[in-house]
Amino acid sequence: MAEETIITPDLNFVRSLKGAGAETLKKCYQCATCSVVCPISPDDKPFPRKEMVMAQWGMKQELAADPDVWLCHNCNDCSKYCPRGARPGDVLSVMRQKAIEENAVPGFMGKIVRNPFLALLIPIILFLAVLGSTGHLKAPGEGAIEYSNFMPVTYIEIIFMSAVGLAGITYLVSLMKFWKTMGSNGAATSKGFVPSLIATLVELISHKRFAKCEANGDRRIGHLLVLYAFIGLAITTIWITYYYYVPHIETHIPLSDPMKWLGNGSAAALIIGSLILVANRMKDKGIDTISSSFDWTFLIMIVLLAISGIATEAVRLAGIKSIAYPVYFVHLVFVFYTIVYFPYSKLAHMGYRALAITYAKMADRDVQL
Amino acid sequence: MAENKDILVIGGGISGLTTAIEAAEAGYNATIVERNPYLGGRVAQLFKYFPKLCPPYCGLEINFKRIKTNPRITFYTGAEVENIGGNEGDFTASVKVNARKVNEKCTACNACVEACPVERPNDFNFGMDTTKAIYLPHDLAFPMRYVIDSSVCKGSECNKCKEACKYDAIDLDMQDKAVEINVGSIVTATGWNPYDATKMDNLGFGKIKDVVTNMMMERLSAPNGPTKGAIKRPSDGKDVQSIAFVQCAGSRDENHLPYCSAICCMASLKQATYIREKNPESDVYIFYIDLRAPGKYEDFLNKIDADEKVKLIKGKVAKIEQDGDGVVVTAEDVIGGGKINQKVDMVVLAAGMESALKGSNLLSTIKTEESDFAVSEGQTEGIYAAGVASRPNDVTTSVQGATGAALKGIQSLVRRSE
Repeated sequence: MAEETIITPDLNFVRSLKGAGAETLKKCYQCATCSVVCPISPDDKPFPRKEMVMAQWGMKQELAADPDVWLCHNCNDCSKYCPRGARPGDVLSVMRQKAIEENAVPGFMGKIVRNPFLALLIPIILFLAVLGSTGHLKAPGEGAIEYSNFMPVTYIEIIFMSAVGLAGITYLVSLMKFWKTMGSNGAATSKGFVPSLIATLVELISHKRFAKCEANGDRRIGHLLVLYAFIGLAITTIWITYYYYVPHIETHIPLSDPMKWLGNGSAAALIIGSLILVANRMKDKGIDTISSSFDWTFLIMIVLLAISGIATEAVRLAGIKSIAYPVYFVHLVFVFYTIVYFPYSKLAHMGYRALAITYAKMADRDVQL
Repeated sequence: MAENKDILVIGGGISGLTTAIEAAEAGYNATIVERNPYLGGRVAQLFKYFPKLCPPYCGLEINFKRIKTNPRITFYTGAEVENIGGNEGDFTASVKVNARKVNEKCTACNACVEACPVERPNDFNFGMDTTKAIYLPHDLAFPMRYVIDSSVCKGSECNKCKEACKYDAIDLDMQDKAVEINVGSIVTATGWNPYDATKMDNLGFGKIKDVVTNMMMERLSAPNGPTKGAIKRPSDGKDVQSIAFVQCAGSRDENHLPYCSAICCMASLKQATYIREKNPESDVYIFYIDLRAPGKYEDFLNKIDADEKVKLIKGKVAKIEQDGDGVVVTAEDVIGGGKINQKVDMVVLAAGMESALKGSNLLSTIKTEESDFAVSEGQTEGIYAAGVASRPNDVTTSVQGATGAALKGIQSLVRRSE
C-alpha cells in the first residue's frame, strides 16, 4: 500500500485567502496549464499548480514555508492561460501576503498593518506627543524654514534609530524563521549559501527574472526604479548622518552636493517607479486579474511617501512657510510607516524573495535566466 | 387550413439521416437539406468508430440504401436553408441549392478530373491534399456524382472538363436555384465544426506542420485519406513512430469552449489504436486533465491502458514547440510532480466541437444557448434538435437522440391534425 499522507484542511485559512483577494482559488481543476506557461517555473516540482491545491486544502504551514510562492513574480501568464479563470497569479500574490503574516514576528504588528488608519494613527500620535512636549506644536514663526527648529534632530534620531533597530531585528528574526521552515520541508541542497546568495543579489540588480514575464512584462522598469530608489535613499540617510556628525556640516547642504544628487535622484526614481507600478496595475492587460487591498495600500503609501518627501524639499526651497511644517510632519509619518511596518508590509517581500531564490539556486531548481 | 404533415431535416449527417429515415419509415414525408455536396457529414470523414473499431461507412451505406428505397425521403445536397418563416404546422423554409454544375448523367468516370487544370485544397481532408476544381467529394460519396467548386473554376472559357465528358453531364452555366419547402415541423441536425485550433496560440497549430487535429488524424488514418491510410507526418512524410495526444485542446477552457466536448477522450484512445496497429513500434503519449470514458466505455479505456506502449499522463499540455525534426510537448505530470518535455514525431490536438449553429442565419427561429447549441426548453414550437446540434455527443448517442427527435417531429404533426 502507498504511503499515507493525512491532510487536515485549515478551512479558516482557505476563507482568509478568499477574503483577501483569492476568491477564485476553488475554480482550479488541476490541469497544470499554469505550471507549463509560467516562464520562471522550474522543471522540478513546478509552481503554481501545486500551490493551488495546497490553497484549496488549506495547507497554511506548508505555504508559509514554501519557497515557490516567492519565486513567482506575478507575471500573470498563468492567469492569462488558465482555462477556469482561477487566476493563479492573484492567488499566489495573496499567499505571499499570508506568508508574510505567518512568518513575521510579533504577530500583532501584522494586524496593525492590515488597518492603514490605525497604522498611520500611531506615528501621528507619537509625533504630536513629541511636538507637544518640546513646545513645537505651533510652527516656528521667525527666520527661514528650518525643519530642525520644528522637530529637533535629536528626537528624529532617537525615534528613527529605534524604529530601524526594532524593524531590523524583528525582520531578521522573521526571515530566519522562514529560512528554517523552508529548509526543513524542502529539497536537498547541492550548492553553498554564500555563492548562491551572491548570485541572487547580482540577479536582483538587473531584475533578469522580471524580464522573462510575458503577460505582465511592463512592470520591470517600475519595480527596478523603486528598488534602486530605496537603496539610494538608504545611502542618502547614512551619508547625511555622516555629514552631521563627522565634518559637522549643518543643513542646508547645497543642491550641488553629490549627496543631494543621490537623494533627489532617488526621490525622482521612487515617484516615477511607483507611478509606473500604479499605472501598470490599472492598465487593462487583457487578463482577468485584481490587485488585493494589501498591494494597493502599500503602493499608495509609497506614492505618498515620495510625494510628501519631494513636497517637503520643494516648499522649503520655494520658501512657502505657511505649509512647510505640516508637509514635513506628513512626510515624517510616512517615513515612520515605511520603516516600522517594513517587516509586515509588502516591502518585506524583498527578503523572503531573495532567500527563496537563493534556496532555489542551492537546490539546483532554478530556471535559466 | 390543411396542416402540413411533412418534416424538414436540416443537415444530412448521421443524425439528420437517422431522423429523416425514422420519420419516413413511420409514414411521414421528410426532406433533408445538406450543405455539403454529399451526405454523411462528419461520420463520412471518420476512419473507425469507438469502441467497436468498425468502419463507419458501413452504417452510412445502410442508411443510403434506406434512403434510395424510400420514396418519402427527398434530399438536397450543396444546399442551405436561408430562412424559416411561419409557425408550427406551417413552416416555409427558403432553401438555396448551389449549382453543382454536374447533372445526374455523371458516371464518375473521372475523365473530367484528368482534364481540369485547376487545383484547390481538399476540405474533406482538411487541406492535407488537393483536388481539381471538378472533383468527387470522396471515394464513397453519396450521391456518387462529381461537383464543381465555382469559386475556383474558370468556367466556360476553359471548358476542358465539358469537352472531356462523354456523357454530357457537365453544365457550366447551371445557376443556383431557390426552393421553398413547406413543412409542419423541423429538426435541426446541423452538427458541428472542429474548433479552430489556431486560436490556441500556445499549441502551435498552423505554425508547426506536425501538429494536427484529431479530425485530421482520422483522415491521415483512413484508406481514402491523403496518405492512403499510412500515418505519416505532414512535414516530411516520415512514418510516425511517436505521437502525443493533447486532450482538452480548446474544450473545458473559458478562453475557448467552456464545455466538455464529450468525445475527445474516447476519440484519442481510439486513435491510439490506429497508430499502434499501423506502426507497431510506435510510442503513444496521451496527456489529459481527466479521462472521460463514461459507462461501458471504461472497458475500452482499460484495454488501451493495458498496452505498455501507451502512456496516459495526467497534466494538460500547455506548450508545443518545434525542436529540430521533432515536436516537443510540455506538461506538468501532476501525479509525478515534474515537468515533462516529450519529443515526438507528431502531435494530435483533441480539438473540441463547436456547434455549426454558431453565427447561423437561422438563429431568430432556432434558439440556442450561450454555447451555441440548440435549447430544448423554450425552443420555438415545432422545432427540435438532433445530434450535436443539441449538445456534444458521440455517434451512438446522436443516433438515439435522432430517433427521439423524429418522434418529436411526428408528434408535432399529429398533435395539430387532431
